[in-house]
Amino acid sequence: MSADDESFHPLGEEWENDLEGMLDDTEYDTDLGMAMAEDAMRVTRGELSEADFHEKYHEEVLEEFGEDNRPTQEAYEKAQEEAKGTVGRMLSRFDGDGEEPRRDVMKKMGAGAAAVGLGAWATVDDGGQEAVAAQDEEDDESGAPEGGEGDVQWGMAIDLERCDGCLSCVTACSSENNLDQGVNWMYVLEFEDPGASSSTSRNRLVRPCQHCTDAPCEKVCPTTARHTRDSDGLVLTDYDVCIGCRYCQVACPYGVNYFQWDEPDISTDEIAEFHEDMDGDHMTTDDGYGSERWVDSRAPRGVMSKCTMCPTRQDGQMGDEMVGTTACEEACPPDAIQFGNMHNESSDPQKYADNPARGRTLAQINPPSADELEEDLEGADEDLESVLEAADLDEEELALMIAVQITGGDEMGDGDGDVADLENDVTEALAAIESHGLGLANQEVLAELDLADEPDLDEPADGDEEGVDVDDEDADADDEAEDEEGEDEEENDDDEEENGDDEEEEDEDDEAFEPDEEAAQFLLEQFAGTPASNFKLLEEQGTNPNIIYLGNEPGPQAEQTEPTGTGVNYEDISYERADGESVEAVDNRKDVLDEGTVGDAGVSL
Amino acid sequence: MSTKSPTEADILRPIQNVSKTYFIMFAVAALALGAFLIGWAYQLQQGLVVTGLSDWGSGGGVTWGLYIGAFIWWVGIAHGGIILSAAVRLLGMDRYMPVARLAELLTLAGLSAAGFYILVHMGRPDRMVTSVLGHYHITVNNSPLVWDVTVITAYFVLTATYLALTIRYDVTRLRDQLPDRFDPVYDGLTLGYSEKEDQIIDRMVWWVALAIIIMAPLLLHGGVIPWLFAVLPNYPGWFGAVQGPQFLTIALTSAISGVILLSAAFRWAYDWDHIITDDIFRGLLLWLGFFCLLFLWLQLQQLTAGSFHPTVDHGAATASKFSHPLYVGPILGVLGVLGFIFATTIRPSLFTKLRAMIAGVIVLTATLLEKLYFVLSGFWYPTFSIYEATPGDYFPSAIEISSLLGTIGLVVLFFLAVAKVIPVVELHAIEHLRGDHGHGHEPEHEPVEESTKQPEVEA
Ligand code: SF4
Ligand code: SF4
Repeated sequence: MSADDESFHPLGEEWENDLEGMLDDTEYDTDLGMAMAEDAMRVTRGELSEADFHEKYHEEVLEEFGEDNRPTQEAYEKAQEEAKGTVGRMLSRFDGDGEEPRRDVMKKMGAGAAAVGLGAWATVDDGGQEAVAAQDEEDDESGAPEGGEGDVQWGMAIDLERCDGCLSCVTACSSENNLDQGVNWMYVLEFEDPGASSSTSRNRLVRPCQHCTDAPCEKVCPTTARHTRDSDGLVLTDYDVCIGCRYCQVACPYGVNYFQWDEPDISTDEIAEFHEDMDGDHMTTDDGYGSERWVDSRAPRGVMSKCTMCPTRQDGQMGDEMVGTTACEEACPPDAIQFGNMHNESSDPQKYADNPARGRTLAQINPPSADELEEDLEGADEDLESVLEAADLDEEELALMIAVQITGGDEMGDGDGDVADLENDVTEALAAIESHGLGLANQEVLAELDLADEPDLDEPADGDEEGVDVDDEDADADDEAEDEEGEDEEENDDDEEENGDDEEEEDEDDEAFEPDEEAAQFLLEQFAGTPASNFKLLEEQGTNPNIIYLGNEPGPQAEQTEPTGTGVNYEDISYERADGESVEAVDNRKDVLDEGTVGDAGVSL
Repeated sequence: MSTKSPTEADILRPIQNVSKTYFIMFAVAALALGAFLIGWAYQLQQGLVVTGLSDWGSGGGVTWGLYIGAFIWWVGIAHGGIILSAAVRLLGMDRYMPVARLAELLTLAGLSAAGFYILVHMGRPDRMVTSVLGHYHITVNNSPLVWDVTVITAYFVLTATYLALTIRYDVTRLRDQLPDRFDPVYDGLTLGYSEKEDQIIDRMVWWVALAIIIMAPLLLHGGVIPWLFAVLPNYPGWFGAVQGPQFLTIALTSAISGVILLSAAFRWAYDWDHIITDDIFRGLLLWLGFFCLLFLWLQLQQLTAGSFHPTVDHGAATASKFSHPLYVGPILGVLGVLGFIFATTIRPSLFTKLRAMIAGVIVLTATLLEKLYFVLSGFWYPTFSIYEATPGDYFPSAIEISSLLGTIGLVVLFFLAVAKVIPVVELHAIEHLRGDHGHGHEPEHEPVEESTKQPEVEA
């Protein structure tokens, strides 16, 4: 990770990647390193200033390493600024032209500091140093998914093909945040796309705020009210600072902002009261990096609002189990919304987007619990049929579970999201079945489940002209199983590897059988389908959105269909607010706002 | 032109007399402003819901409307005014000296109206100081809106200084004819004046003028104001490098029109035919024609680039221009004015002062409507044009419309008030008109200086 630029440190990338390595291992002066580390501690205790520290060692470091890349006071201050939030971010953007991106600078500083024993600085109770330390951890290629604190970027994967248009997310969000009518932080629409080539997939868009990494809304804000939290990348509005100029709404390419044109329908007291037994009031929250800010729930009058991705949940106000969840995600019946840390490869959205067919399958199959299975299987025979019968599973269910496991590889169960939980359920269920005696790695069993070719004990491992390529779209899993050969690698260069493996390992001894990942993937795709595309919205706008969509990407000519709604109409749904009132949803907010317009002419320019 | 010779008495006439017309105008202007202030108070109480605005996107409206359109219109007038006056001073266009101060005053008035609009447009104007100034050091690096506030403030200060410097000369010399009730004002204006400074002031004014001209394309209507829009890639109608020059032409056309109307009003009110001569109107009209031409030329650039083989979003934004009355109307208006001005150069007899005024009104209306269309069309034709079922409906509410009348009232009141305190035509201009258009400055000063020495001593 840190190896993206070898030039920064004379010790080279290996050293950067191995920060645990002691100075002794190097050709460099250990004493100097130790002395510096000691003084670094003094700096953290406030006995020595950074500037003095630098002064003291500048010469020696130059002599020793040929260059001095340790954090200078300037750089240190910059890092501190960074951590203060928007301040640093904006400053860094301003002088950032032609310079390395912020993260790179931080990385380098982190690695550079560690290389000379300055890791001690990380103990200073100060955001700036924490960020450096966090960066440091990230550099550590051990890749602990929990990573450093600064390495969280909340985001979503939204499966537009799984969305059934029920608008549950819309009402859940409005209810959670006590929004006025028409303030659809979460909005779902259907569109026609005359420019698009015909596609079987539905034209639907689920549209929360994209929580852009390079958010133009933040950049244009004249007050810093619109800001990105350093701790988790959420783009929020400080309701106490915003002056209501609406420039953020103008600059956002996605049209996700909602201004509070009049007094909101529900008071802050009512909201606070409703959340009394919570750890906060669902309005103000502290992400641990800055001070308490009012960033959640509906905005007060004259202030901008938009989808927040539930910061009070992420900050633990609603309990630990709510961290890493959003109201919309929870409400979505088909699990079309996956929320999680986009910087973590084993988070829900990343795992899901990485292999949507697998994600969809996981969301749909309901693996029995291991205990249940053990109970059910007691006394049953060990063959496949008996097991299925006793466990009340059908062949497909078991095959899908195994396919999930096979395609999961080493990352199976990694992470702490829902996908990982489901993976663990699958692992446990399969383990229970295996411990009952059914060998799930047995080629015969797998072949029966369409996950492997039939074992062929008679034929030598020659090439066979009738080889069927599992990749072949026309190949039907059944046909394939009937075909009695597994040695097609010579004919099919493209899938040489996988099949080659099968064949080599092939043995009467089932333990050594390598599962056929391609067949497993094929099974998952057959069951759950693959999305038409995998895209981020308006990426050409340079916003770096943090939502990955799966499904049909709206083209430049896409237009919302009328009437609005998705089969379910906005006017037919309602949501409840903290004051107990049930509110009807409205899709076009203008209809609501027109009531307050003085001298509404009923015409439009 | 006129046989009358301009005198100090001429330029003192507005200060020394009040007429019934004056009171009527004052009352009408005050009424317009008052009506809007009441509307604004109601808006402050109710929120911006009283406007015809809504959110763009699923909100089905536009989030910026007449307030912002009128804001840039006023800033344009203001910036054009100061550029005009700076050009007069810098390039020695002595012919226009009688209207230079009017242009400067128009700048102050226009900036005030624009600044007022910023407040009116905000959801929480009460936080202007804490939120904007409190984070200024950060946001000034990013936010075009902060750049705007900065340059508007800077230009207000600059213009006021500029004006104050040139006024010292006049006030000192005319002091004993000026009404006593404003003595504190005059004392303040002439604080520490000595004749020796005249030359230095002249040079300072020249440098300030140079600075204004140099910065005009960058910091005025050729720069930060259009950047408010031109830097946003998600609106094809806004995005791009042409907005700087385009805005500058709009600023200059509207400012010249404003100056034409103001000059005509003052000339009519105070019989200044021999000071603000027909010659000045002819000249201003020619300049107006020149900038109208530039305005249309740059519009043409946009139409061509947006319709030849445009991207989908850009194509949609441009297509609307060919049919929307809010765009077609202004363009035809400006085209008509250009045609008329062109015709007057061929047949000078076509020129009348009234026609020049009508041209001014047409251009000012056209630029206002074009600005309004410009702002609205951004939201009507964004790159992400998917929200077709909730399009950007908008019609300015009664309060928004009254804001326009209110700010015009504000500007009229400003002139009515200022005209009673200081000479709106500078003494230099009179001296110049009496002289022989050459280097007549020095000898011309003599009589005035004599007459002003006494008040100097008294003060
Ligand atoms: S989508 Fe991006 S630009 Fe729009 S409000 Fe959200 S973070 Fe800002
Ligand atoms: S409306 Fe508020 S958050 Fe948005 S740009 Fe203006 S001050 Fe910033």
